Amino acid sequence: MNNLIAAIVFIALAPVLGGLVYGVERKVRARMQNRMGPSILQPFFDFMKLLDKRPMMVHSTHAFLGIMHFVAIWFALAVLVLGGDMLVVIFLHLLATALLVVAGYSVRSVFSHLGSTRQALSALAYEPVLLAIAIGFFMVTGSFNTSAVMNSAQPLIVKLPLAFVALLMILPIKLKKSPFDVADAHQEVVGGAEIEFSGVFFEALYTARWVEYMFGYSLVALFAGANIWLGIGMATVVFFVVNAVDNSTARLNYKDMLKISLGIALPLALLNLVFLVL
Amino acid sequence: MGLNKFRAKSPWILHYNAGSCNGCDIEILACLSPKYDVERFGMINTGNPKQSDILLITGPVTERCRERLVDLYSQMPEPKVVVACGSCASTGGVFRDMYGTECGVDNYIPVDVSVPGCACRPEQIMQGVVAALGILAQKNKDIEKPVRLAGKVTEQDGQTNRRELAGTLEATNAKN
Repeated sequence: MNNLIAAIVFIALAPVLGGLVYGVERKVRARMQNRMGPSILQPFFDFMKLLDKRPMMVHSTHAFLGIMHFVAIWFALAVLVLGGDMLVVIFLHLLATALLVVAGYSVRSVFSHLGSTRQALSALAYEPVLLAIAIGFFMVTGSFNTSAVMNSAQPLIVKLPLAFVALLMILPIKLKKSPFDVADAHQEVVGGAEIEFSGVFFEALYTARWVEYMFGYSLVALFAGANIWLGIGMATVVFFVVNAVDNSTARLNYKDMLKISLGIALPLALLNLVFLVL
Repeated sequence: MGLNKFRAKSPWILHYNAGSCNGCDIEILACLSPKYDVERFGMINTGNPKQSDILLITGPVTERCRERLVDLYSQMPEPKVVVACGSCASTGGVFRDMYGTECGVDNYIPVDVSVPGCACRPEQIMQGVVAALGILAQKNKDIEKPVRLAGKVTEQDGQTNRRELAGTLEATNAKN
């Protein structure tokens, strides 16, 4: 019962926690570059400022799809934390991405279309790996439910080390970090699928990004099994690794992203599954 | 509501080069570098007009880019401020009265802060932007129109349609 209450509180506070993670991340990245960096509360300042802008939208469907993107990704996190089916989690996450892609295509701006295409390519790069990881969870615990993963006494990273490496490789794609931030491509092609959103409607996408952070790091924490402190520790280490990689690499071409994720990360995860069978 | 004070805490910047020689652009990029680090004020160079608060313009407005300049300005949601960076953007500078350029940004859109210098130093740009933040906190959310090449704002389905806020040269010439 306590676990359930903790899970619900975690889900309810997920956007706030994700905002804090994002604030810490901006600070950490700045310190890695020997800069001062913004305040840790900077994402919330941005949030309040966006509330204060004059509302502007392209058309109502566009704004609606953006808000549904946020809702879908929050649902995906909720199902993950409450111990639901891992496949449902992955498909809800895919649905969220698809809503964003459709939102990007629903306006006439070519830059929005470009961002949507790149977003769809990113999904193509990481979804197969996520599915392979879910199958790995099933082969170890005998169930697709994340509750089975969270109750396993032995951390799953012992049985699935290569799948964990594969997750590390696709995490920058999901979180839109270098070298795989082709979806955002900041300063290269101006923004991603969210380029036409502004003011309160951009708020939904900005907050969805925070929830996405919580989703990504929760996936990492799942590999620790029942040991929650090990999970938090692993997520923290991965957080620093992802940001160090983000700071030290340049953006790759989308073709290289597909080659690395489908040519290295996916075979690694599948190899792990073969080892489990043997 | 008291939301005004957050405007100064997270200014997002749109940088537009209106025919500059790149001198001021390099200095703006230097502001983002670790030495000057404008991100400590919460500034991000978004490169997206719809999510920006401050329009940083460099260069005298050339004839080729004036429509784009007005278009970018019209796409920014209010409240917004315009900072003209460098002598060219403020007055036309060395390009003043030349055949292909206009004499400064304020011929086309209202300018809030002018930063002098050729090229303006990063410290001056930061001072100009911080001065602009004071103006930003005071502004209201009424639609701001460009000085020239202004289009019209229409009402459609009970909503403000600002798609034609930026007029084109053809439309302006046809009117005259």
